[in-house]
Formats: sequence, structure tokens, C-alpha cells
Amino acid sequence: MRKEFDEQLERLNTEMIKMGSYCEYAIGSAMKALFENDTEAVKEVEEYEREINQKEREIESMCLKLLLKQQPVAHDLRTVSSALRMIADLERVGDQSEDIAEITKFVDVSKLKGKTHIKEMSDEAINMLTKSVDSFVKKDVELAKYVILRDDVVDNLFNEIKEELITCIAENKDGGEAYLDLFMVAKYLERIGDHATNIAEWVIFSVTGKHIEEGNLK
Amino acid sequence: MSKRIFRGIFLVSLVTILITLIFIITALTRYFDSQLEVELRSQAKYISAAVEEEGMTYFDRFSEGGAADSRVTWIAGDGTVLYDSIGDEASMENHIKREEVQEAIQSGTGEAVRYSRTLSEKTVYYATLLSDGSVLRLSSEQRGMLVILLGLLSPIIAIVLIAAAIAAFLSRAISKNIVKPINEIDLDKPYTADKYEELSPLLRKINNQNELIKEQMEELTRKQREFSLITENMNEGLLIIDSNAEVLSYNSAVKRMFDIKDESGVKNALMINRSSEFIDVIQKALDGRHSEHEMEYNGGYLLLIASPVMHDLKTDGAIIIMLDITEKQMRDELRRSFTSNVSHELKTPLTTIYGVADMLRSGLVKQEDIPRFANDIYAESGRMITLINDIIKLSKLDEESGLQEEKIRVDMYAVAKMTIKRLESAAAKKNVKLTTKGNLGTSYVWGVESMLEDVVYNLCDNSIKYNKENGSVEIEVSNSDGMVHVSVSDTGIGVPKNDMERIFERFYRVDKSHSRNIGGTGLGLSIVKHVVNYHEGSIDIESEEGKGTKITVSFAEA
Repeated sequence: MRKEFDEQLERLNTEMIKMGSYCEYAIGSAMKALFENDTEAVKEVEEYEREINQKEREIESMCLKLLLKQQPVAHDLRTVSSALRMIADLERVGDQSEDIAEITKFVDVSKLKGKTHIKEMSDEAINMLTKSVDSFVKKDVELAKYVILRDDVVDNLFNEIKEELITCIAENKDGGEAYLDLFMVAKYLERIGDHATNIAEWVIFSVTGKHIEEGNLK
Repeated sequence: MSKRIFRGIFLVSLVTILITLIFIITALTRYFDSQLEVELRSQAKYISAAVEEEGMTYFDRFSEGGAADSRVTWIAGDGTVLYDSIGDEASMENHIKREEVQEAIQSGTGEAVRYSRTLSEKTVYYATLLSDGSVLRLSSEQRGMLVILLGLLSPIIAIVLIAAAIAAFLSRAISKNIVKPINEIDLDKPYTADKYEELSPLLRKINNQNELIKEQMEELTRKQREFSLITENMNEGLLIIDSNAEVLSYNSAVKRMFDIKDESGVKNALMINRSSEFIDVIQKALDGRHSEHEMEYNGGYLLLIASPVMHDLKTDGAIIIMLDITEKQMRDELRRSFTSNVSHELKTPLTTIYGVADMLRSGLVKQEDIPRFANDIYAESGRMITLINDIIKLSKLDEESGLQEEKIRVDMYAVAKMTIKRLESAAAKKNVKLTTKGNLGTSYVWGVESMLEDVVYNLCDNSIKYNKENGSVEIEVSNSDGMVHVSVSDTGIGVPKNDMERIFERFYRVDKSHSRNIGGTGLGLSIVKHVVNYHEGSIDIESEEGKGTKITVSFAEA
């Protein structure tokens, strides 16, 4: 009985890693679609998004079954309940990647005038997501804290990009729509950063049993 | 075991005690009965004699004296009770029907035993026929066995309890004593215990198995050591997983490749890596298929080879071998780009030659223009020849084993001097001043002369080509710390910082748009690098954009 439970927990872990991996690929492909204007990448993102949604359903039913049949307590209960919350965040990351991919159909970044920090921001957001999934895989609280702290960088980049885009629109009155699209991309990236932060917070909760406060990260 | 033995012994003792008790009581009752009979008989004899003699008068005396403790009844021949020592004769019923009386009338004496209603008492009757036909009957009451037992109950219980206590104590001591040597058997050295002969086959077996286990353990540890020695020392990563993708074992190469620091954190294969290629390979292997996949990791390339481990047509797990193919991949890339570059570089002059030749053939060219066109053909084919020569040199250098040239002692200063002679005309065209610094007969290097010449030639050639009008090139040959340095410095255009790393790559050009005017193949520095590597020397480059470049090659002094 216990052995079966452990096996199921292990399977849950594996599926979570897979889902995290899909999300990383989804956002990676979305960024490829944006910067390289790669229509194949857009299709890939859609593919990944479907996979992510399916994984979410799978993991959700797995968690519910675990809760019902095994009635876990303490650490195990935290693992299962945080998994339930984490998949919601991961699923949102998948959706946002798809949204970005959708936008890239109408924007060709290489043709836009003016320099923005969108590339830096996407690198940072992807890095955050990767690190948050890593922290889950390794159950690494320190890494999770790093991710949470890193969110400020993404937020600052977002503000910076906002300023840059305002200047861009002011200078190029005709191409205003494209810049607005780019602004949406930035917003989605900022949201992805937030989701990565959430995932990191859940990792900390599932390991330590305590919710982390913004103030005591150090 | 000791408990069981104790229980056994104790039970047996208890049963023995009880049985003994029962037998003794039965025997005692019998004895009492017979004793009573004998007593009654002798009393009867005595009383009957007295009654024969004295008649009723005896009884009158008898009842007064009360000599006998038995009940005495005198019954007339017709059954009427004449006298009874206890009851009232008149009220007593006719006794003729009584068993003992009947018996006495018939055979002279009669006996009977009757139990009271509660069975707690029994009465023993003895009757004798007197000479006048009357019957004298004696009876005595005796308590039943149960009553006796009840009477004796407390002493019996006391005795049984004491006996049981003693039995318990003894049983415990005995059982402990029996078990003690068994407990004391040293299972590692079973032969030392020889208390029980019955155990010796078992002990022998244990001993044999001990030895067997020891041998097998040694064999196993040896094999394991062998295995880990092999796996730890191989460059390829080896990962073994079970059917749930849980990690069973991996070697240090895997740790190195995936930068695993915390070993306890690696339970599932996906914790090592979660790229789609990795997941895919594992999934395929666990589905029972062999698969190979290349994956990018940490800026390098890994080749994953996964094979399922089958047992009874079921996949028990998988073995994944990881090869670092970064170098191979890079070489492949280099070769691919080299091939495409070569074809491109060869195609350009050929196209020119082809075009010009075509024009000449179709007679479209005026007579006076022919020399110019011929010159074009000449120049372009010259370019091709140089290029092909360079490629041949490079490919020779690529296959080091193909180098047959003998190494001799070469004076680098002499080489420099010679090179300058060959380049004088080119330098003059650009009005570049060529100077050498150094001394003959001091700077010797162990190497292939023609190759070393190529080094100096290519360096100087570049210095002239990428120089400004009226610039200068200086070749300095010097010795220090057992090394010979040949440095070529110019006042040319210099190399941008970003390109420093790449100028030694094949066909790499800093300024791609103007290179055709300058000429050259883009292979010169690549050849320099190869030759220097072949001679185990080193290259050092200092450059400032717009000011000039200084390239120094150093070899060990011979």
C-alpha cells in the first residue's frame, strides 16, 4: 500500500517535470517565432500548448485520486496540493506562450525601428521559468528564492520596455500597432515571470511547509 | 522454544499429579469399603452368637450399653422387625422384601449396598440367618467418595498448588537448561557448539552455507568493483534506469556531463535532464525500442544511445549511453563550411574565366581588347592555383600522418631574409618598406623548412596586403628563454578586437566586401596556425585598429 503510494508520488513528480519541460519549450519556441519570424515555431507552440493542457488534466486527476485514495498527510499532502496549484501556473505559462506566438504572426521584429530590451526580457523570463522548474526538480529552496528575487528584474525590464515603446510610437506614427503588439508580448512575459515566481513559492511551501513572505527572502 | 518446553513439562507434571490423586482416592475408598465389610461381618458374628443365646434380652442390654457403633436390626422370619437399635420397631414396615434379608434367608448371609437419595452417603447392609429362622442385620453408613473429596478439598488444593509450583519452577529451570546451549551457538562458527548431536547436521549445513555466502559475497564485490572501475573510467556516460525511469546507477561521466552536484537529488531519470530528446529516448527505450538521439546541452552536443533491458518479453529498464560528440559535431560543421567555402571560392574565378572565354570564343571581343581579357584569364587562374595550393597545404596539415617531410635545423633569420626577397616586388607595388632585424646563425628551430617559410611568407604577405601606402613591415627574429620568436609588425589597418579570435579560421575575412580587391585566399593565417601547431609553437597577436598589427610566433630553440 505504502509502496504503491510512493510510486504514485514518484509518477506525479515525473509528470510534473515533463509538464515543466513542455512549458520551457513552449516559451522558447514562442520567442523563436518572435525573433526569427519562424512560422514553424508558431505551430510548435500550439502543439506544446495542447500537450500542456492535456498534462494538466492528467496531473489534476492523478492528484485528486491520490488525495481520495491515499489521504496523504504532512509533507506528502503538501506535495500533492502544491502540485495542484503549480500545474495551474504552468498551464497559464503555456497559454501565454501561445498568445505570444499568435501575436508574432502579425509582427516582424526585425523590420521594426528603434531598439528595445524585449530580447533581454524574454531571456530573463525563460531563465526564471527554467530555474523555477529546476528548483522543483531538485527541491531546492535556495534556487526557488533566487527565482522570486529575480522577478524584480523582469518587472524593471517591463517598465523600461514600456518607456522605450512610448518613444518608438511617438517617432513612428504609422507603425503604432506593431509596437502595441510588442507591448502585449512584454506584458505576457511579465506574467510568465509572475507564474515562475508562483511556482517557486509553491516549491518552498511544499518543502518547508511555510509560505514565504516577500520580506524574508534573505 | 523454551516456553514450549516449559509448557510441555509443566502440563505433564500437572496431569501426573491429578492422575495420582484420583488413583489414590479411588484406592482409599475401596480399602475403606472392604474394611467396613470385615468389621460388619465380625460384629454380626459376635452379635448373632449373643442373640442366639440370650434372645431379646441381649438387645435390652445392648441398647443400654451401646456397644456397637453399627445399626442393628433383628428381623423375624416373616419380615417383622423385632428390634432396631435406632428406629422404633413398631412403626417400621415389613423387611422381608429387602435384598439382604432375602439373600440371608436363602443362603445364610446377605449383603447389600444402598445409596441415599443424594448419593452423598451409602449404607452397607449385612444380614445373617439365625438358627430360629430370624435374620440379624447390621448396617453401617459410610460417606460417599464425593463427600470425602469435599472434606479433603482444602488440603488437596494446597497440595496440588504446592506441587504445581514446584513443577513450574523445575520445568522452567529444565527448559532453560535445554535451550541455553542452542542460544549459545555462534552461527558464524557453528562447529564450536557440539552439545547436541542432533543439531550437528543442521550446524554443518549452516557452516557450508556460511562459506558459500562468503564466497559469493567476495565474488559479487569483486564483480561490482570491476564494473564500477570500468564505468567510472569510461568517458561515455552510462545511466541505468528501471521500468519507472528511476535511476539505478550512473557513472561519474554522467555527473560530469550534466553537472550533477547533489547525488541524493537524482531519483528519476528526468531529474537529470528534461529536454524533449532525453525524455523521448527514455520513453522509447522503456517501450522496448532501441533509439539514438543527438541533443544539445551546455553548449555542447551529446549523443544518447538507449537500449531497453528485456526480460521475458517485458521491459525491465533501460541502459542509456551518452557520448560527448561536441568535438565531432564541430569538426563536421567545420568540414561542411570548409567544403562550401572552397566551392564558392573556386567558383568565382572560374565563372570569370568561363565568361571571358565564352566572349572570346564567340568573337565578340575586339582585337585590341584581347590582351586585357587574356590577362583576366591569367589572373583568375593564378588565383585559383594559389587557392588550390593553399588547400593542398592545409589538407596535408590536417592529416598529420601524411606529412613526410623531414625535420631539420632551420635558421629562422635566413628564412626571413629569403621570404623578404620573394615579397619585394609586392611590397614595392604598394610602396611598403620591408626590414628585418636579427642575426644570422643564432636563431635555430627544429622543423620543416618549407613549412616555416610558409609561416613567415603568409604573415608578411598579410602585413603588406593590409598595409597603407608608404607603410612599413618589420620582421624581427630574436631568442629568449630557449625560444625563438619571429614577430612581424606592420603599420597596417589592424584587426578589430571582435575578430581577433576568428582570423585564424579558414576563409575568415575581417572586411568581407573588399577582400577581393586585396586578393589572397583567406587561408593564409589558417596555414600559419596549423604549421605552428605542428611545430608545437605558439602564436601571439597584438593589434590596434588603424595603427597596425604585430603577430609573433614562437618555437622552441634547437
